[in-house]
Amino acid sequence: MQKAYIKTLYDIMSADKRVCSLLSDSGTDYDLLMARDFPAQCFNFGIAEQNKVAVASGMAKMGKIPFVYTTDVFLAYRAYEFIRDDVCFQRRNVKVMGMGMGMGMGSWSTLGPSHHSTEALAALRALPSLTLLCAATPLELTRLVRFVYETNGPVYLRFGMSAEEELFGEDYKFELGKPIMLLNSGTDVTIFVTGTVAAPAYHAAKKLRDNGIAIRLYNMPTLKPIDDAAILDALSSSKYAFTVEEHSLQGGLGGAIAEILAEAGEEVPLKRLGLDNCFAKGYGTTADVRKLNGLDTDGIYNQIVNHINGGKTK
Amino acid sequence: MDISKELRKQIFLTAYSGGVGHLASAFSAVEILQMLYIDRVMKFNAENPDWDERDYFILSKGHGSLVLYATLAQVGFFPKAELYKFCQPDGILGGEPNTLEVPGVEASTGSLGHGLGIGIGIALALKSYCRSNFVYVLVGDGECQEGSIWEAVMSGAAFGLDNLTVIIDHNRIQKMDFVEKTMGAARHVRFGGGQIALGEQFRSFGWQVKSCDGHDTTALRETLTGEWQPDKPRCVIAETVKGKGLSLMENNPAWHWRMPSKKELKTFCAELNITQEELDECKRRI
Repeated sequence: MQKAYIKTLYDIMSADKRVCSLLSDSGTDYDLLMARDFPAQCFNFGIAEQNKVAVASGMAKMGKIPFVYTTDVFLAYRAYEFIRDDVCFQRRNVKVMGMGMGMGMGSWSTLGPSHHSTEALAALRALPSLTLLCAATPLELTRLVRFVYETNGPVYLRFGMSAEEELFGEDYKFELGKPIMLLNSGTDVTIFVTGTVAAPAYHAAKKLRDNGIAIRLYNMPTLKPIDDAAILDALSSSKYAFTVEEHSLQGGLGGAIAEILAEAGEEVPLKRLGLDNCFAKGYGTTADVRKLNGLDTDGIYNQIVNHINGGKTK
Repeated sequence: MDISKELRKQIFLTAYSGGVGHLASAFSAVEILQMLYIDRVMKFNAENPDWDERDYFILSKGHGSLVLYATLAQVGFFPKAELYKFCQPDGILGGEPNTLEVPGVEASTGSLGHGLGIGIGIALALKSYCRSNFVYVLVGDGECQEGSIWEAVMSGAAFGLDNLTVIIDHNRIQKMDFVEKTMGAARHVRFGGGQIALGEQFRSFGWQVKSCDGHDTTALRETLTGEWQPDKPRCVIAETVKGKGLSLMENNPAWHWRMPSKKELKTFCAELNITQEELDECKRRI
């Protein structure tokens, strides 16, 4: 997915000299290629994320379009106040790119919670003037990076950093705030998922469908602003609603959907799947760690079936 | 009345109108802003705050907003009448400056350690446009305890930003106590040259450093506009007195965030040449 990001940004930077890539010792070989081809647009600030975000604010004030790129946690947590005060509050055209979202740093998840951005949505959703996006697949990321570039104002985009499975075709169409249907076999169960955990959610949804459950699976690339009416529409005639996210149950996608349902007075019961007041357990591949935390295909499938059966396993 | 006295009087009347304010932090930087704006070391156009040819000033120690407001009003960025609405519901001037609302304010600051990074971003962009506008950032000496200041100092040298001057308002007092008493042990040169210690820190990060009397506008101007090497950012340590101009307040940590009592007010008025009518006028305008 990182490759999709760099490739798209490379094309944008070659066409628009205002666009800059701001690293904090966070690049790959691709970034070195970019720095070779566009030296005047590439900056590395060393391991110093707070300053990098403040600098981006100053550059944006001067008409540059800085893409601030590093590990999601170092931006969402360490540089949070700088994103808030210097970017959002001053409404600067800064693009914050958080890679390695959720529990995975690439195909591996060996570094533990210090590198897991499993509370980032709760913190970032609260920021005024920020557009908040999560990419599920390389193709979606390509489209989102384009959208981010074409949008004026503060944007935070989170994405994965390994070979995420592609779930979309070329007909993929992004609309800000709206859910994107991934699977549809009926209206009984509606599932919303965001970010790179979309792949296991997709396979769990297929299994549910194959076992005769009428389900709809929606991908939610936009966490802010969310189109409430589109969510309610997606949920029409549902008996059960579920959210799936590599995130705390507090304040993420589940929280956002719950707010919409409660304010609309909808009675469809919602079950949030994610991390329940805990840091993610274990080390291994990203798939291993998802499994340990109930967010692999079987974990998602079983939690949904159990919930529908009123807690009784079939 | 000389202009620095006029500014101090205006600062006090502004704070008096709002009932609050970081007076001592503002008083220590009066001559610095006077030199930049009123003596026009900086290029600016009050009629057109976004003028492309302007130099950029960022008040990283945002709580010193009173001196910035008084100076901006003095040179015509907005009417002086606005000062009397300081921290009032119908005004635009808050305790910390807001770039979206106040003409002439280049960046919203408040939380310490942000303004220098923003200034570095502006200076980097100016370099890339091959433009000769200059960037000035005023930071507090207490503010230099923030880690992000040193991230910014590191990057300023790494990018060779010789279009950037940091002015340190070296008044030696932070909120609770003297800087030296608070973090003095961490400085590698002992007090008596506390200013040298801070200068050494900047120098060791690859900056060029000069110091001068921060209440002498001629010395400030000569230091800022004197000989500097190319390819290195500049740091001017302005030796100041927190609360300068008010006998009760000078060099007294108790005054970081407070207003005078009724008794103290008499001394303030006497030393700042403020009449009872001028005080009453503040209250009438609210």
